[in-house]
Amino acid sequence: MAFRYRMLAPLVALFVAVVGYPMVYSFWLSLTNYRITRTGQTKFVGLAQYQALLSNDSFWSALMVTATFMVTAVGLELVIGLGLAMALRRQKRVRDFTRSFLLSPMFVTPIAVGLMFRFLLNPQLGPLNLLLEKLHLSYDYFGPGTALFTLAFIDVWQWTPFMVLMLLAGLESLPRAPFEAARVDGASAWLTFRSITIPLLSGVLVVAVLLRGLDAMRVFEYVYAITRGGPGTDTQTIQYLIYQTGIQFFRLGQASAMAYVVLIIVLAIVIVLFRRMVKEARR
Amino acid sequence: MTGSRKISQWLTNALLIFAVFMVGGPFLWVLLGSFKTEQAINNPLQLLFVPTLENWSIVIEGGSFTRFGILSAQVLPPAVLVFPFLAMAYALRLNDTLVAVTVAHISLVLPVVTWFLIGFFEAVPKEIEEQAQVDGLGRFAAFRAVVLPQVAPGLGAAAVFGFVLSWNDLFYALILAPGNAKTLPVAIAGFNTFRGVQLGAMCAAILVSVVPVLIASFFVQRRLVRGISGGSLKY
Repeated sequence: MAFRYRMLAPLVALFVAVVGYPMVYSFWLSLTNYRITRTGQTKFVGLAQYQALLSNDSFWSALMVTATFMVTAVGLELVIGLGLAMALRRQKRVRDFTRSFLLSPMFVTPIAVGLMFRFLLNPQLGPLNLLLEKLHLSYDYFGPGTALFTLAFIDVWQWTPFMVLMLLAGLESLPRAPFEAARVDGASAWLTFRSITIPLLSGVLVVAVLLRGLDAMRVFEYVYAITRGGPGTDTQTIQYLIYQTGIQFFRLGQASAMAYVVLIIVLAIVIVLFRRMVKEARR
Repeated sequence: MTGSRKISQWLTNALLIFAVFMVGGPFLWVLLGSFKTEQAINNPLQLLFVPTLENWSIVIEGGSFTRFGILSAQVLPPAVLVFPFLAMAYALRLNDTLVAVTVAHISLVLPVVTWFLIGFFEAVPKEIEEQAQVDGLGRFAAFRAVVLPQVAPGLGAAAVFGFVLSWNDLFYALILAPGNAKTLPVAIAGFNTFRGVQLGAMCAAILVSVVPVLIASFFVQRRLVRGISGGSLKY
């Protein structure tokens, strides 16, 4: 056996054991009516679980909620992250400290971040509401229509650093020549940014948005820590719905079917973006 | 020209200072909270308070907090894998044990760490490996003697990154071991009742979970970029 295959074998074996086998198992679960409370009566039901999802309103609403969350959070993270990355690049003093400090939120346990913000935004105990009260204003952070955006804001607080990290690395690897040329030609800062920085950075931008987007899609901790899906089903994200279906209602078959639909959506997004990137690279 | 440059440098600094406050503010409030008595927490405007260590002793004595918890793979939705793990754990009577969580966390950490290390291995010049073989080492011996030392810093950073992933994970730990073998995030989630005494202890518990990770991440900061981008960026 060739050396490279022998070197690869341990990884592949471990992958098959802890990823491959559970994936196949999960697909099998999604074709049954498996319930953890009555495992003796498990029956093969074919695609019935998937068929049931088609008419399951909470599933579709959870997909919409998750999509809204993703677009809001990742959109803001991209804009703020790009701004911060450009500022950090031009910073002259205390660089290392600022960078370490600004990156710190992404290492914090997400459940702790959720609870931190629940505390900070608490109507009676939180500093923000006290400030608003002084100004005779009031705002319900976790009310209908606002809760989901508050959760998105928390995601922005925790994960913008990830964007900054990726974009900063991208910015620092850009060639200098085009910028010099633009400066010699007297191009304005905005024009330089739009017609040089953005196109040169596009590959990194796509990877950063993709990684963040897929991660935002499985938001769970903030929902679990703060709203538990409420008010109503305003913040019932797909990951939280799957958790409820599997753990509170014990319907592992149904939950696995939902997870597989999510997996198919994820794969579709990845493949489409990846193909576009390959095309761009060829040009 | 120099005038406008000065202004833009000034704006840059202002933006960064603002960002530092946005990131630091929440930490500071929770830090203050962890030293407040129940009464002081319920009276948030009172900025002067007699600090208490009571919250910290609650947390440090509670055994569950010393347990390790472990974040999420970049590729697979964790919901796809978690239910098979749960069903298998039930079948093997391993539900609510750290064994189930540990195995699940391997599936979580392995893909990320593998991806993370690509960039480090790619950065090792092929020539030095070939030179070692010319000098009479076998392929594996060359790998061990020449390539591994080169990627050692990367291995360290990957280990820290994997540790952070596992330490921070709630989803797997909550589903596979919600009772007897709580990891730190599951225990923190238990402070979810927002009544009285719990708040101060919760602040302290949050900081207990945050501090080791922040310290660990500080040491690998510089290597993170190459790792997270999986070698797709030159650094």
